[in-house]
Amino acid sequence: MNAIFLFLFLLLGVATLFTDPELFLSTVLDGAGAAASLCLALLASYAVWLGLMQVWEDSGFTRAGARLLRPLSKTLLGVEDEPTLVAISMNLAANLLGIGAAATPYGIEAVGRLNDAPDPEYSSCMFFVLNATSIQLIPTSVVGLRAALGSGSPADIILPTLLTTAVSTIVSCLLVWVFIKKHRRFFTRKEVAGT
Amino acid sequence: MIKAFSFVIPILFLGSLALAAMRKVKVYDSFTKGAARAAPLILSIFPFVMAVTVLTKLLSASGLEDDLLSLLAPAFRFFGIPEEIAGLILLKPLSGGGSIAMLADLLEKYGVDSYVARCACVAYGASDTVFYVAAVYFSGIKRKKLSLAIFFSLLAYFLSLIVCCALCRVI
Repeated sequence: MNAIFLFLFLLLGVATLFTDPELFLSTVLDGAGAAASLCLALLASYAVWLGLMQVWEDSGFTRAGARLLRPLSKTLLGVEDEPTLVAISMNLAANLLGIGAAATPYGIEAVGRLNDAPDPEYSSCMFFVLNATSIQLIPTSVVGLRAALGSGSPADIILPTLLTTAVSTIVSCLLVWVFIKKHRRFFTRKEVAGT
Repeated sequence: MIKAFSFVIPILFLGSLALAAMRKVKVYDSFTKGAARAAPLILSIFPFVMAVTVLTKLLSASGLEDDLLSLLAPAFRFFGIPEEIAGLILLKPLSGGGSIAMLADLLEKYGVDSYVARCACVAYGASDTVFYVAAVYFSGIKRKKLSLAIFFSLLAYFLSLIVCCALCRVI
């Protein structure tokens, strides 16, 4: 991340000097300001969603949800630890419902907990691609936008969206599984069969 | 169908609170306790979000964004992706808020039910904000393979876009 940031910052900064050096500082401050207003908006929506999720946690709904998604989290992410599974399941559930704001706090917690996973590199990379290419069951915001703009059939993008997002998730999971996982079950099973 | 979707979130809230109350949870205490976690969380992610937004603003101010777009247009055409949505495709991995604004622009410009607009909608949903997720989730945590994972997500995203534009022709 250090190398990427430095490279991009220098490249874009120098390019800006060629267009208009006066723009440089105001653009950087503009960017920081955008982050500030974004974080303020996020603060409002996180407060609401985290409040709701605390209610879920205190009434035991999260544990029920975690139980539902546990098989998936276990096989895909290789995690056994209970609190980690809860955080991961809540994050995945929020992603499926298209509530990104609610997914983020649980995602951050899960990534922190994945430090103690048997294979932290693999688990956190797999968790990252699941979030980065998130499967959405209902693209709520897009359907709403199309309806607002007077589309004849606002919901007809749901099926292609579902297929497309499934492709991106499956492909990236496969790539991570093949290239990042250390001990693949495929090989161990072969060895067992050989002996 | 659409009316039904607008009830999902309200019902989620009202149902959860009602069920929690039935289970004798002190709803007000829980709700405020959870909400209190928001401020420290936001403070901890702010610097990492800022780094991304500064780069995004520099990208458009430097004029490199336009160069990049005109450079990529032929490649997009080759894969059957309409070049009108190239800007959206590049912005989506960086900023969720920015790309929904751009999507709204595209829908108005080309007509909500046009091929370009439908492609744009599906492309918007094809992937999440890859760089944003990387910056926010992994703020302060070091993972050697994370950049590889970022590359994989972008690759998968691009593949799914090709599928998306082909799908939009038939469905």
